[in-house]
Amino acid sequence: MNTTPPSEHDIHAYVDGHLDGPRRGEVERYLSRHAEQADEVQGWRHDAQQLRTLLAGDLGAAPAVEAALDPTVMRLRRHQRRASRVAMAAGLLLCLALGGIGGWAARGMGTGSTAPMADAMQAYQLLAVDHGVGMDITTGNEGDLRAWLAGRVGATVHLPDLADAGFRPMGGRLFATDQGPAAMVLYDDGNGHTVSFYVRPPGAARHLLPRGEREDNGLLADYWSDGWHNYAVVALADAAGRAAAQRVVVKAI
Amino acid sequence: MSDPRIDEALRPMLPRLRRFALWLARDPFVADDLVQSTVERALSKWASRREDESLRAWLFAILYRLFLDGKRRASRYALLLGSLHEDEPTWPSAERVAIANSTLAAFAALPVEQRSLLIWITVEGMSYQEVADILEIPIGTVMSRLSRARRALRLLGEGGRSETPPLRLLK
Repeated sequence: MNTTPPSEHDIHAYVDGHLDGPRRGEVERYLSRHAEQADEVQGWRHDAQQLRTLLAGDLGAAPAVEAALDPTVMRLRRHQRRASRVAMAAGLLLCLALGGIGGWAARGMGTGSTAPMADAMQAYQLLAVDHGVGMDITTGNEGDLRAWLAGRVGATVHLPDLADAGFRPMGGRLFATDQGPAAMVLYDDGNGHTVSFYVRPPGAARHLLPRGEREDNGLLADYWSDGWHNYAVVALADAAGRAAAQRVVVKAI
Repeated sequence: MSDPRIDEALRPMLPRLRRFALWLARDPFVADDLVQSTVERALSKWASRREDESLRAWLFAILYRLFLDGKRRASRYALLLGSLHEDEPTWPSAERVAIANSTLAAFAALPVEQRSLLIWITVEGMSYQEVADILEIPIGTVMSRLSRARRALRLLGEGGRSETPPLRLLK
């Protein structure tokens, strides 16, 4: 007769009722000859039965709890949460975009003018229309004008020589701007065309202008920067003025 | 599987998950949170579930890990505060349960893993292989741990029968 004790697996399977057929018989035969182990296994079966009975009562829950834990409800809540997260992200993005646009729009505010080099155009209007009345310095000598500019606006200011383009300087005038002292030199080609050359420091915020041009109120402005100062050439926005400004810009830059 | 069918499959598991959570956490509120987190995790990880895997074992495994993670976090936090309590706290004082039955009292006093083993195997009737999968241990190890759990329950339960129950908490 077989006297090897059943495996631990078979003992537990016997307790849990998973064992049938010959192996169940084997365990039962073994236990009938080993009273001590039979007692233990009997105790285990008793405990298991007790636990099953006692814990069966825990299966019922309050209806409110069951409703809250229902998968469909929870799935809905999950979707809502995800939707609200998406909405929050979208809101954040919108805020960023608005802030960015606002910041971009407000970037020029510190320079005191909304359009680039509006002060240059104002200066032109002030002087060129009256053909040089009220200038600070009236001279056709470029050397004098250079010295005058260097002393008042900055030593690095580059005054173009426009003799090739047919323009001769008439004189210059200083202006006070938010960015510092600005100067305008007026050129004339002897045929009634006046072109102004305007220079001003970029200001404390170092707002240097990209190359560009614009027309406003019958005037044409070409502007650029050399890294130290902002420059503009202003002329009347007619065909002759345009051609003159073009020639000056080519020489000046 | 479509969403309604997933919900249909999950719904009958909820009372079982909740019972297991109750005996793990021993606090109805914590238990409900555990079940809720388990369902949420199950819904989000449904696609990663193997088709041949038992749904019940899969859910129990999720809940068990969530509980252990939470316990680990709590003990780390307690360590941080310098007030580490004993590993197995007694029933929360606000618990509205009085355990008069000695088997239940003994069961409540068992370590978490032994309690889980006994619920899975004797109460839920899960296979040893399913339990081995949940705990990620070989089936032989499940057997020896089950023996230890059953002996411990026997010992504690008999100790309780001879005198007053070892654990009695009244309202």
